[in-house]
Amino acid sequence: MSAPLPEVLAATPAPASARTRARGRGRGQVGMLRIWLPAGFLIVLFCACFFWPLVYPVPPPVGGSVLDAGLPPLSPGHIFGTDPVGNDIFSRILYGGRVSFEVGFAVTAIGLVIGGLLGVAAGYWGGFLDGSVMRLLDVLIAFPALVLALAIAEGLGPSEIHVIWALAIFSIPAFGRIARSATLTLRGQTFMLAARLSGTSRRRIIVRHVIPNIMPQLLTFSLLGIGVVMILEGALSFLGLGIPLPEASWGSMIAQGQQTLSASPYLVLIPSAFLFATVVALNLLGDALRERWGVR
Amino acid sequence: MSEAAHGSANSRASVHQAGRGALLEVADLRVVFTLARGRELCAVDGMSYSVVAGRTLAIVGESGSGKTVSCRAVMGLLPPSAVVTGSTRFQGTELIGLSDEQMRRHRGANVAMVFQDPSRSLNPTMRVGAQITEAIRTHRQVSRREANEQAVDLLRLVRMPLPERRFAEYPHQLSGGMRQRVVIAIALACRPKLLIADEPTTALDVTTQAQIMELLLELQAELGMALILISHDLGLAASYADEVMVMYAGRIVEQASALELFAHVRMPYTQALFQAIPRLEREAHSPLPVVGGRPPDAAGLTAGCSFAPRCRSAADDCRAAAPPLAEHEPGHLWACWHPVDGGA
Amino acid sequence: MPGSESPPEPQAGPARRQAAEPALLAVRDLVQEFSVPGGIVQAVSGVSFDVWPGETLGIVGETGSGKSTLARSVLQAPRPKAGSVVFRGTDLVTLRGRRLMQARRHLQTVFQDPFGSLDPKWRVRDIVEEPLVAYRTGDPAARHRRADQVLELVGLDPAAHGRRHPRELSGGQAQRVAIARAVALSPSLIVCDEAVSSLDVLIQAQVLNLFEQLRAELGLSYLFIAHDLALVKQVSDRVAVMYLGKLCEVGPGESVYREPLHPYTRVLLDSIPAAAPGTSRAAATIRGEPPSPIHPPSGCRFRTRCPRAAQHCAVEEPVMRELAVGHTVACHFPLESTAAASKNAMPVTSTTARSDEKMGETPR
Repeated sequence: MSAPLPEVLAATPAPASARTRARGRGRGQVGMLRIWLPAGFLIVLFCACFFWPLVYPVPPPVGGSVLDAGLPPLSPGHIFGTDPVGNDIFSRILYGGRVSFEVGFAVTAIGLVIGGLLGVAAGYWGGFLDGSVMRLLDVLIAFPALVLALAIAEGLGPSEIHVIWALAIFSIPAFGRIARSATLTLRGQTFMLAARLSGTSRRRIIVRHVIPNIMPQLLTFSLLGIGVVMILEGALSFLGLGIPLPEASWGSMIAQGQQTLSASPYLVLIPSAFLFATVVALNLLGDALRERWGVR
Repeated sequence: MSEAAHGSANSRASVHQAGRGALLEVADLRVVFTLARGRELCAVDGMSYSVVAGRTLAIVGESGSGKTVSCRAVMGLLPPSAVVTGSTRFQGTELIGLSDEQMRRHRGANVAMVFQDPSRSLNPTMRVGAQITEAIRTHRQVSRREANEQAVDLLRLVRMPLPERRFAEYPHQLSGGMRQRVVIAIALACRPKLLIADEPTTALDVTTQAQIMELLLELQAELGMALILISHDLGLAASYADEVMVMYAGRIVEQASALELFAHVRMPYTQALFQAIPRLEREAHSPLPVVGGRPPDAAGLTAGCSFAPRCRSAADDCRAAAPPLAEHEPGHLWACWHPVDGGA
Repeated sequence: MPGSESPPEPQAGPARRQAAEPALLAVRDLVQEFSVPGGIVQAVSGVSFDVWPGETLGIVGETGSGKSTLARSVLQAPRPKAGSVVFRGTDLVTLRGRRLMQARRHLQTVFQDPFGSLDPKWRVRDIVEEPLVAYRTGDPAARHRRADQVLELVGLDPAAHGRRHPRELSGGQAQRVAIARAVALSPSLIVCDEAVSSLDVLIQAQVLNLFEQLRAELGLSYLFIAHDLALVKQVSDRVAVMYLGKLCEVGPGESVYREPLHPYTRVLLDSIPAAAPGTSRAAATIRGEPPSPIHPPSGCRFRTRCPRAAQHCAVEEPVMRELAVGHTVACHFPLESTAAASKNAMPVTSTTARSDEKMGETPR
């Protein structure tokens, strides 16, 4: 994985113009299909990962019997086959998906809340607060990503929680910068001055004017960000720094399957396909919503 | 401009009659935009007029009247979602249906357009001189040196003080009026026969406005160009144009020479426009005669006259059928069943 | 004789006014600066004027005149560098935080861009209620009623428009919402910063009539800022002309129109498109380009473009002098005026207390 982590997370789309006053006709005429197709896929996948095992029995993702090792897909009882140790692939896909969703949402949520608030505060108040927050975020971005993840994994031991915190360190500044630039753009708008002149307190302005207007931008960035985080988690797990085996994670499944790539390619292809499809769906949904909400 | 000249130049109501040297003849121009889910927006609903060299035609209307869209159709500057029907002939050549390449050559060489906001028409990262030479070299094969000389000449033509110095400056170093002069210089780079000025002075101060309008008229006289002036300001149009066309909801509702229109306005909408303009002579605090409501969003939706919902003189026949534009008096066309008889 | 708080300035209107009523808004020596790449621009350089209860003062100026900066400075957004803004007896410049907010309650604004001044995510009724909420007037039910009331006052149906977002409104409707918001707290003075300049001419007329109607019904005063002299005159009792941060001329609208005293005013009047086609247009008499605001010309700032400029104009900056009743001008060589007082008219400064004799002397 040579993609530099911080740059990917910190890639900021252009700040949204608050002039979203295009009439309904003129604004992105995004068909509902473009939104609901990827959204539907994600919802179905999410429900499958989290609820299917509760409703319909599947073989456990770990502790499979060696007798079932190496079965190909579409074998009876194992629709995706089994891995060399005998674990059911389908079940591992579902449980691995849980990990992806959990990490993706958690990291993004942390970034959105912490980074978003810091960015809004920096953008709105400016001055000393702005300077110190931005320096703090710069420090976070400056951390060499891989080295940090390595250190955390080494020091604290690989686990899902540690992965989440390691990735959150990069998610926070990314959201912080977006929130800050969106807030700065908003500050120049006349209605902000009008709100101030109407006597509205600064706190109320932030809550009722700033945040509702920057939310579309932050939300679409979140969706795209979840996809990125999922890939990063996959990368970390692939390197052995993330979710430890034998627990299921799409990344570690890919790593494992590498060893027997020519004999049983499905061990790599199936988790890769799921990861790919999920990230593509998130991107499509993010793009569609961005157009719909007139975010630039 | 004698009355006789007015009269003969105005007898071109019928576009089948090629006027003497009619540069541009527009016949039944319709522009329809296709929107999402099959909806349509009719921006221009049947316009016919012609422009003669050396004359100034003003197209006046509020936002949404279709004045800008109709001129962009002449320039071929509409997005692909626009369906243009009818005929626009420039010196006999039909413009609708030309290929992109042909259209590109037609622009600049024959017709040029000046837009409203000079700070948005100019590239802020390019020096002014470079932008002019770019326009020159797009249409002509000249050496860089020649193009530079021509650019300085153009700046001189538009009465830019210290043209050599301005040549090397960036747009942000110039005032609004000077920027507009640069935009005009770019438009004139290939000596077009027709210049379309879309609200050229709206973004400028009133003193600069007067200077730019004077400049346009002087250039027109010097170069023998035809000038189409698009404006929402009827006072400006009446003051600087030979002929005025008033548009409402995609159609021409009144057309006459400026003198005639001002003296004998007929269409209630035009009268409302005249009366709504703040005048220095008017007493302070006197209520302005107003027309309620607002212009329709899309043209051609109603069967009757589009102005009927807001018109004081509206009657049943107005709502039933749209009045056609016809020359009811020599040199004065209007589209109204119940015209008023008013001086402005 | 009013106290030294608000030294009397020559004003139009009945003579009783100067003695009896204090000005609603008294601005003295207002200065506002901001830094741009290249230096500091003094957008407002020592401007003084009054606005009396129930009157409309129009301020007309072109780009770079500082009129919008002047409006913002009066509103303390941001606070001016120097000078005083006495509104209803209190100097706003000296106030901070909560006290400033309380003092500003009766001072409201309508901006130029009807959509820009409304939060696109809010509904119309919330927009109109915002000042009511901020100043905690009454309970929610009372606020709703008041919001509906002002919406009707500006000609909008609360039931139809109350739940709409700004993007569902037309330009004229959006500006009406902004006006409703400004009127909600029953202010004394409304600052209109190019409030109709973005509207189509027919809608503009509607909104202007609305301003007049509200003025009559609610007893409002306006500080009406625009670049269109005819528009300003239509709406104002008195007119002030501004150039490059300084006031050139202040006087009753009719006086300024019929007998302008300042060459710049004359140029503005001449630049307006002729009233009727065929009448000869006075050739644009202004020369040159607007000077750099960072380095304004010495002495009189208008001298580089003035057809009457002379040597003296570069040396000394002209002060405001009253040359006709309630009509002041800052010029060394003002235009001829039949109502002009003798050339020995005393300059008016903020520290000069006017004597009653002078008032009686000026011919009508």
